[in-house]
Amino acid sequence: MIEPFFFGPNNEQLFAIYHPPIGGSGQVLTVICPPLFIEYMRTQLALRELAISLAESGQHVLRFDYRGTGDSFGELSETAVSDWVDDIALAVREGRDLTGCNVVRLLGVRAGALLACRSAGASSDVERFVLWDPVPDGAAYLHGLRRMQAAIVDLHPPLSRAERRETLHEYAGHRLSERMLDQLRLLDASAYASVPKSKLHVVSTSSEVGFPVPGVATGVTPFACDWETNLADRMMAKPVLEQLRTCLTIT
Amino acid sequence: MPDNHLTEEALQFGEGGRLFGILTLPSVPISTSPGLPVFVFLTAGFTHRVGPHRLHVRLCRELVRLGFTSLRVDLTSMGDSPPRPGYTNQQSVAADFAEILAMLESRLGPSPLVLAGLCSGADNAITLAPNEPRVVGMVLLDPVCFPDSGLMGFRTRAMVAKYTRPASYISGLRYRFKTLNQPREKKREDDHFVDPLALRDPPTLELMQAAFESIRKRGGRVLSVFTGTAPQYNQVGQLGRVLAVDGYQQFCTELFWRRSDHTFTLEVHRRQLVEAIKTWAGDYIAPERAPTSDDLSERAASLPVLLTDTHQA
Repeated sequence: MIEPFFFGPNNEQLFAIYHPPIGGSGQVLTVICPPLFIEYMRTQLALRELAISLAESGQHVLRFDYRGTGDSFGELSETAVSDWVDDIALAVREGRDLTGCNVVRLLGVRAGALLACRSAGASSDVERFVLWDPVPDGAAYLHGLRRMQAAIVDLHPPLSRAERRETLHEYAGHRLSERMLDQLRLLDASAYASVPKSKLHVVSTSSEVGFPVPGVATGVTPFACDWETNLADRMMAKPVLEQLRTCLTIT
Repeated sequence: MPDNHLTEEALQFGEGGRLFGILTLPSVPISTSPGLPVFVFLTAGFTHRVGPHRLHVRLCRELVRLGFTSLRVDLTSMGDSPPRPGYTNQQSVAADFAEILAMLESRLGPSPLVLAGLCSGADNAITLAPNEPRVVGMVLLDPVCFPDSGLMGFRTRAMVAKYTRPASYISGLRYRFKTLNQPREKKREDDHFVDPLALRDPPTLELMQAAFESIRKRGGRVLSVFTGTAPQYNQVGQLGRVLAVDGYQQFCTELFWRRSDHTFTLEVHRRQLVEAIKTWAGDYIAPERAPTSDDLSERAASLPVLLTDTHQA
């Protein structure tokens, strides 16, 4: 059973789904920080499955959508990185109030990993950060979005000149505000470095992609996520989900 | 969830709360609202209620400004609605729809409905419409179509396009190759990718005719939007010719946006789609006749964006 709800300030409420623990009081809360844009759509089913699995293992789980994404309120074109960083802090607070848990773990996926570390890295509130294929930094992520945009246009039926001009301002099919772009460019790997290494667990699907902070525990579970080239397939990355579950439940 | 002009309610309903959806209502009653149909956005493929690139969320929140209430719902097996064990896809969709109707009736009273969906969502709208008298409209995005015959029929036009618009032809081939072939290959390699095509139960021509006929008899309207990647469709008006339903022009609006892709991936196309659907829906408030393709093109061209060159065929 799930408990969906809206929370936060009236004019910019966020949408969340709470998965209560099954068969136990639950001492741990896991908050899932999803990826963005096409990656959000591709992983929705997988993250739901993971949340159910974690709840079955006795954890409280909170999934939520950032402002301007999913079912949350706000327009993407009026949102910036700082809003999403605040949203994560708000979701953690909401989850703690809801469950009474003192032990909080964050799962960050792709850009969600960078945002999670920026939001809570320096805080003592979070006991563990599990990061699935974290993006290296905001600038690299933006470059990746532009490459996706090029792939979308390349695969697309021929566009008119006016449409082509419009798409020059899009990132993976979305218009982002100047504020968002500026803040993404400034979001560097120091977000990861702000987290004590002992709290970080990285799950990577490719051995070719390194984590920007050396000396962090990284498990490689090979899986062809094809984040930048696969624009459509929903993934149910079972081996990766299993690895994430282990990282989030191991004591 | 309050806002200046709308309220959203997260709902779990049906047997055991199996179905999950979000109802979008005007915050304060709007004078045009009584009697307006409720839009029901059906999930497409494995995309959850949010819709491809958040299309359903955006449409629900735009339509509410006109006074329309909307439901975006996860059909079972999608999003946050678990599957119905032992049911076929069609049985499951029928059971879902019965529970959606019951919930809407208890929440809003016996309102007329517009069923809206992309791809398999359109398939389901077509399948459900004939047997439910409350359905007075359909918004079909890339629904199934069938080749029309004749000297200048679908195949001839496809042949002509191959030689006169090679870029378009090659692009179409690449799109189909990548989107249809690649997932299947991956699926063979491992079972960790979800093939949305496995979900499609495309309606037959007879069922489509029955659906359109039922809407006509109820005095309703249909908006069909085909994209450049719709299989078996290559000319505006083709669906009307194939269906051959009486009075098609009077209650149906058929658009062919050959420069859009199947899921309206580009923002520039989503924006235009939202405006087209709002314009079409607006005629429920001031009913005259179904807006023609030209009407929607003219109105789209007046939008404050760069699309003076509308991608209307």
